[in-house]
Amino acid sequence: MKKKTSIIAFILLVITFGFRVNHTPEFPTPKGWPLPQYDFRKNPLDSKKIELGRMLFYDPILSRDSSISCTSCHSQYSAFTHVDHALSHGIDGKIGTRNSPALMNLAWGKSFMWDGAINHLDMQALAPISNTLEMDDNIKNVVFKLQRSAIYSTLFYTAFGVKKIQGAHVLKSLSQFMLTLVSSNSKYDKMKQGAIKFTEAEHRGYLLFQNHCSSCHKEPLFSNYQFENNGLHLDDSLLDIGRMRVTQHAVDSLKFKVPTLRNIEFTSPYMHDGRFQTLNQVLNHYIKGIMPSSTLSGILKNGINLSPNEKADVVAFLLTLSDKEFVFNPQFSYPKSSFQKNLKQAD
Amino acid sequence: MPANTTSPSYFDNFQLNLCAINGLNLRFRFKAANLIIFCLAFWSTSYSQQNKKIELQFNPTFKRQSLALDSIYYHLNQTDSVQFTVLKFYISNISLFADSQLVFREENSFHLIDASLKGSLMLPLSVPQSAFFNTIKFNLGIDSTTNVSGALENDLDPTKGMYWTWQSGYINFKLEGNSNQCKTRKNEFKFHLGGYLAPFEALRKITLPVQHNDSISIDFPLDLFLSKLDLSVENEVMIPGYKAMLIATKAAAEFKSDTP
Ligand code: HEC
Ligand code: HEC
Repeated sequence: MKKKTSIIAFILLVITFGFRVNHTPEFPTPKGWPLPQYDFRKNPLDSKKIELGRMLFYDPILSRDSSISCTSCHSQYSAFTHVDHALSHGIDGKIGTRNSPALMNLAWGKSFMWDGAINHLDMQALAPISNTLEMDDNIKNVVFKLQRSAIYSTLFYTAFGVKKIQGAHVLKSLSQFMLTLVSSNSKYDKMKQGAIKFTEAEHRGYLLFQNHCSSCHKEPLFSNYQFENNGLHLDDSLLDIGRMRVTQHAVDSLKFKVPTLRNIEFTSPYMHDGRFQTLNQVLNHYIKGIMPSSTLSGILKNGINLSPNEKADVVAFLLTLSDKEFVFNPQFSYPKSSFQKNLKQAD
Repeated sequence: MPANTTSPSYFDNFQLNLCAINGLNLRFRFKAANLIIFCLAFWSTSYSQQNKKIELQFNPTFKRQSLALDSIYYHLNQTDSVQFTVLKFYISNISLFADSQLVFREENSFHLIDASLKGSLMLPLSVPQSAFFNTIKFNLGIDSTTNVSGALENDLDPTKGMYWTWQSGYINFKLEGNSNQCKTRKNEFKFHLGGYLAPFEALRKITLPVQHNDSISIDFPLDLFLSKLDLSVENEVMIPGYKAMLIATKAAAEFKSDTP
C-alpha cells in the first residue's frame, strides 16, 4: 500500500514537473546596485519568453500596416533610442510629441515615459501600439494577428503553455526582453570595480559631476527616478507640461523624469523634446540657460558654475558612461536566426 | 475555489507536511511544496461539495426592461431619446455578510460585466452550504494594488478594452451611446470612468441588502442613472479626475438589489 502511494506520488511529480524544463536565467543585478524595482515573481525570466519578446520587439506586426516596430524608434546602436530624431517618427511618417528615450536598466524604473504616465513596464507597450502617431493599432488586433500566425501561436504555446494568446502574454514577453537590456560595463563601472583607472580629466569631471549633477542623476543608475524641472524654457509649439498632465497638480508643472546618463554619448539628441544635439549644448544650458519658474529645482536656481575647462572635464566623465558591450551585444540585436529557424519550421 | 473558512485540519496538515520536507534540499523542497498544493487542490475539490452554488445576476435595465444595446432608442422624455452602444463595468471583491459578520469572500474576485455578453451578467459563487447572509458588498472598479500590478490575464486582460493606453490604469466603468441631447459629433456621449491615484480614486464600494437565497439579483437602472446627469453638458469623461469621481458616485448609487 505504502509502495503504491509513493509510486502514484512519483508519477504525479513527473506529470507536474517533467514537462516543464526550467530555463530560468538569473537576473543579473550588478554588484553595488540597488535591488530591481520589477517584481520578477509575477513574470519569472525564461529564455523562451525572452526570445519571444525579442522577436516581438523587432517585428512590425505590432503596427497597423506592418511598417513600424519598436526598434524603429529604439535602435540598439543608439542604446535603443531614435537616433538623430528630436521627436520620434511613427506610422505614415507622422511625427510624435516627444523624443524617444534610451532603453536600458528598465528593471530599476519606477515609472515610465518622460512624465511617468506608465506605472509598470508591462503596460508600456500598450502606449506605442495604440498611439495613432506611432503604431496605430490596438492590443486586441495585435493578439488576433499573432494568433493567426502559425509561427507565433506555436511560440506562445511553447513559452506560456497557452493555446489562446492573451494580451498579458504579449506584454510580459516584451517586458522580459526589455528587462535583459542591462548596461553595466562602461569605463565608469570598470573604474568602480577597480579594474581600470580614470584619466586626470575624467577624474576631475567625476568630482564636478558628484558636486553638481548627482543629486538628480544619482549613481549608479544615474537617475533618482524623481520628476524635476531642470529649467528648460517651455516650447511654444509643444506646450508640454510634463508630470502635471498625469497628476493634474500645478506643483508638477514642467517636471520631467530624470533620465539616466548611461550611454549618453550614443543617445543624442537630448531632453524630452530633443532640443540639444551635443553635450556641450546641454552643459551650456545648465551654466547659463536656466529658465526661472515656480517649479524650478532649488539646486538649479543660480545655474551651475563651470569654467570652460571644467565643462570639458564633465564631458570627459560623461563619455566614461558609454558601454560598447551593451550597444553591440548580439543577444539584443535583430533575432535573425530565430526568425529564420521558425520560418523554416513553418514550411 | 472553496471559501476560506479555514478549518483547523487544513492548517495543521500544511504545517506537518512542511516540517516533513524540511531536511530536503531547496530545489526538491520547492517541488514537494508544489506537490502538497497539488494534493490540497484535490482535497479541496472534494471539500467544495459542501459548498453550494449561488447565482449573482446583474441586470442593466431601462424603465424596468432589460437593456438592449444598439438599434433600440429609448425615450428620455417627450422629445429626447437615447441609444446605448457600450456598457461595461468591473465588479470586484465580492463578499457576503450576515449583518456585519463576514461569511464569504470570493478569491481572485474580478469580473467584467459586459451588457453585450449575456454570459458575463451572471456570476456563479460557490459559498459554504451553511452560510447565512443578508448583505452583499462589492466594488465597482479595480483596486489600486491591482492597478499597479502589471499585465494580468482573463477579465483583467488589456484586450478587453478596459485599460487606458496613454496612461496606466483600468477603466472601471464604460458607458457609450448617443442622444439628441448631446450637441457633440454624431450626438455621442462617452463615459470612461477610472483613476486609482490619489486624489482621483474612482473605485466605489457598494453595500446592498439581499435575501438569503440561491440567487441574488442586482439591477442597474440606466434611466435613473441618466436622470442624475445632464447629457447636454456632461457627455464626455475620458480621463481620471473630479468629473469621473462624481459620475462614478452617481453610478454606484443606482445599483439596487431585489430586496427593499
Ligand atoms: C514612433 C516611435 C516609437 C515606437 C514605434 C515605440 N516607441 Fe517606445 N517610446 C517612444 C517615445 C517618444 C517615448 C517617450 C514617450 C513619452 O515620454 O511620452 C517612448 C518610451 C518608451 C519606454 C519608456 C522608457 C522610459 O525609461 O521611460 C519604453 C520602455 C518603450 N518606449 C518601449 C517601447 C516598446 C516595447 C515599443 C514597441 C511595442 C515601442 N517603445 C515603440 C517612441 C516609440
Ligand atoms: C535638479 C535635477 C537635475 C540636476 C541637478 C541636473 N539634471 Fe540633468 N536632467 C534633469 C532632468 C529632469 C532632465 C530631463 C529634462 C527634460 O527633458 O525635460 C535632465 C536631462 C539631462 C540630460 C539629457 C539626457 C537625455 O537623455 O536626454 C543630460 C545630458 C543631463 N541632464 C546632464 C546633466 C549634468 C551634466 C548635470 C550637472 C552639470 C545635470 N544634468 C544636473 C535633472 C537634473
